[in-house]
Amino acid sequence: MPRFSRIAAWPLVVKVPVLVAGLMVTVAFTTSQIVLWRLVQDQERNLELLASAYLDGLSNAALPAIIRKDVWEAYDALDRARSRYPGIEPLFAIVALPDGRVLAASDPRRFPFQSTVPRKLRRRLAADDGIAIDTAAGRAWLARTVRAGGVSVGRLFAGLDISDLLRLRREILVTIIVINGCLTVAFALGGYFVLKRMLQPLGVLERYVEQIRDGRVEPIPEDYRSRIASEFGELFGRFNAMARAFSERQALACQLAEQEKYAMLGRLASGMAHEVNNPLGGMLNAIDTIQVHGNNPAVFQASLEFLKRGLAGIRDVARAALITYKGGSETNLLTRGDLDDLPLLVQHETGVRRLRLDWHNRISEPLAIGSAGVRQITLNLLLNACAASPLGGIVTVTVSCSDGALCIAVADEGPGLPKDMAPLLNRAASETAPLPESKGLGLWMTGHLIHRLGGRAEVEYPGVGTQVVVTVPVVSKETLDVAA
Amino acid sequence: MLYGGGQRHASRLSRRAMLCGVAGLMGAWPVPAHGKAELSLGLTPVFLDSDMNVLSWLQRYLAQQLDRPVRIVKQRTHRDASTALLAGQLDAAWVSDFLYVQFQDRLALLAVPLYRHQPFRQAFVIVNKASKASTFDEIRGSTHAFSDPDSTSGYLITRWLLALRRESPAAFFRNFFFTYSHRNVVRAVGNGLADSGSLEGYVWEVMKEREPELVDNTRIVYRSEWLGFPPIVALDTTRDVPDIRALTAALLGMTSDRFGREILSLLALDGFATARAALYESTVEKWRVVKAQA
Repeated sequence: MPRFSRIAAWPLVVKVPVLVAGLMVTVAFTTSQIVLWRLVQDQERNLELLASAYLDGLSNAALPAIIRKDVWEAYDALDRARSRYPGIEPLFAIVALPDGRVLAASDPRRFPFQSTVPRKLRRRLAADDGIAIDTAAGRAWLARTVRAGGVSVGRLFAGLDISDLLRLRREILVTIIVINGCLTVAFALGGYFVLKRMLQPLGVLERYVEQIRDGRVEPIPEDYRSRIASEFGELFGRFNAMARAFSERQALACQLAEQEKYAMLGRLASGMAHEVNNPLGGMLNAIDTIQVHGNNPAVFQASLEFLKRGLAGIRDVARAALITYKGGSETNLLTRGDLDDLPLLVQHETGVRRLRLDWHNRISEPLAIGSAGVRQITLNLLLNACAASPLGGIVTVTVSCSDGALCIAVADEGPGLPKDMAPLLNRAASETAPLPESKGLGLWMTGHLIHRLGGRAEVEYPGVGTQVVVTVPVVSKETLDVAA
Repeated sequence: MLYGGGQRHASRLSRRAMLCGVAGLMGAWPVPAHGKAELSLGLTPVFLDSDMNVLSWLQRYLAQQLDRPVRIVKQRTHRDASTALLAGQLDAAWVSDFLYVQFQDRLALLAVPLYRHQPFRQAFVIVNKASKASTFDEIRGSTHAFSDPDSTSGYLITRWLLALRRESPAAFFRNFFFTYSHRNVVRAVGNGLADSGSLEGYVWEVMKEREPELVDNTRIVYRSEWLGFPPIVALDTTRDVPDIRALTAALLGMTSDRFGREILSLLALDGFATARAALYESTVEKWRVVKAQA
């Protein structure tokens, strides 16, 4: 399987030519075998026919000499037949008598008159008539019993040189291999280049899809479409339509995010105005008291203290707003104090809805983490929890750090976060923003921030309300020290 | 000298070309009168019988000279020729002198060829070039190729040599066989089918000029004395028949005819002469020795 998986992972531009080459090799091998098999069959059949004609002629010519045991006439018949049969190249021919002795041979020195026919030859051709082919030696041996009136009067033996036939086989085999090899290479290379050219549009498409990952959504230029096949043209058209829809959605999301930001600022501003207005009323009363009872040192002192607390409260609210507006401190260190002023920012929300905020900030030392992001995440979750909680409800915020991760848990007693909106907290920044009418834009923005910090969010439903737990990794202290 | 190197070859070709031309002209010669009795002449392998064109040209020449149809009958063996001649199937025949002496009382000599201007030739015993034998006695135990049992040079001389040694072919040779042609004896010995062979010296010498690739594989180990050349004979009873006399005249007059001379050249002969029985006394003597042993 692993090997198959690797092959399956090969590029199409390689896989198809390899497949073509493989098929060509298979076809070439099969056809070569069939052609050679047929050639061998035809050659052997032709050889048998030629050999039969040769032996027929030889036996007819030699028969009278064999009957008379006429050495010269038998030899003369063999000698004259030596070059009389086209396609037959006899190495030797022997006329043997029934007792196995040579009457005459075309090569008398090798097979002398009255000598015994070599046992090897007789054994090779044990049957009366037949042909034995030795392709390794390039030789064929023939035997034919010569009969007169049904009585065996002698036997003909012949050896043929069939090296020409075998050479022809080799030449045909080499020709087939060379031609098929060239065709296979040509088809494989041709397939490679043609397919590479055909798949060029996919490369273009891949490049533009890759741009989406980088946040750039651009349609494929129209002039590409005129140079490619209609299938890819339709694909490009659909991609461009998708890119346009994506761009529009991104623009809308940005617009909505901007609006949400202004809405949040509006809420903050009204909250701040309320928070500033309350001490201002007290402070004006204090000033009136000083004006009326300023002679009384104790009253004067108490009024001054009241003024001081009022101004300090206004200062804290202004500082928190300023930090939120500017994105917090630009440091990558989160301190306990970076979060402790958040309750002030939601004081108006909690006051209006008479909510009780249980604030547990357990950060004991600075953490190497983007403080502005964490602050924004916490504030967004806190505002959502306040908005979701019923009048007089309890909102619980717990911030802690353990095992190299910052954990922010925000719980409310509301009706519960809809399950189809919970995944918005874990969506990547490049993913499509929710449509305006489907709400959840705040959650999507929070999810965007969590994703940017490399964290994750889990939504729990403990029975009453919802608890959102955000975990964000913190750089180790050693790394921090080294960085410091 | 009959032939000489490349010039010989050119001369032969020119002769052959000329013969073709002459043969063509002969078609325009007076055609032998139809209705006249055909004269038949039997030939045996006593001479160079490898060129079938010679037979055709000889037939045309004789037909022209005799002014009658002539049939050339090529017999395989001397015995076939003598049987046909004695049976009256042939008017005349070119036979071996051995056959002539056997039937001397019934045959009449018409003419004898002249080889090197003499009516003589020799018998040779040859061996394969690779053989170590250098004398006749050293071919003992070999496979021997005779030409014809009725041939002087191709059988009788060897048989006579064996008779002098009180041997028989079966005892002296390991095996022996007949090829019924002097040329085939050369082929058999040259190709190794036989270790030794008996043949006509005239044939061997002419073949040495014309087919050296065959003859060069053989070597002479015995040359006989000069013997009378195989004659052309007819039945003694027909000696004075006009056709036979005309045949004799045509043979004797070949040298005076241009076409006849060309035929003689192809046969490597110098002409024909009148033959006398005394020419074959040596053959008779050898036959007597052989018969005595038998």
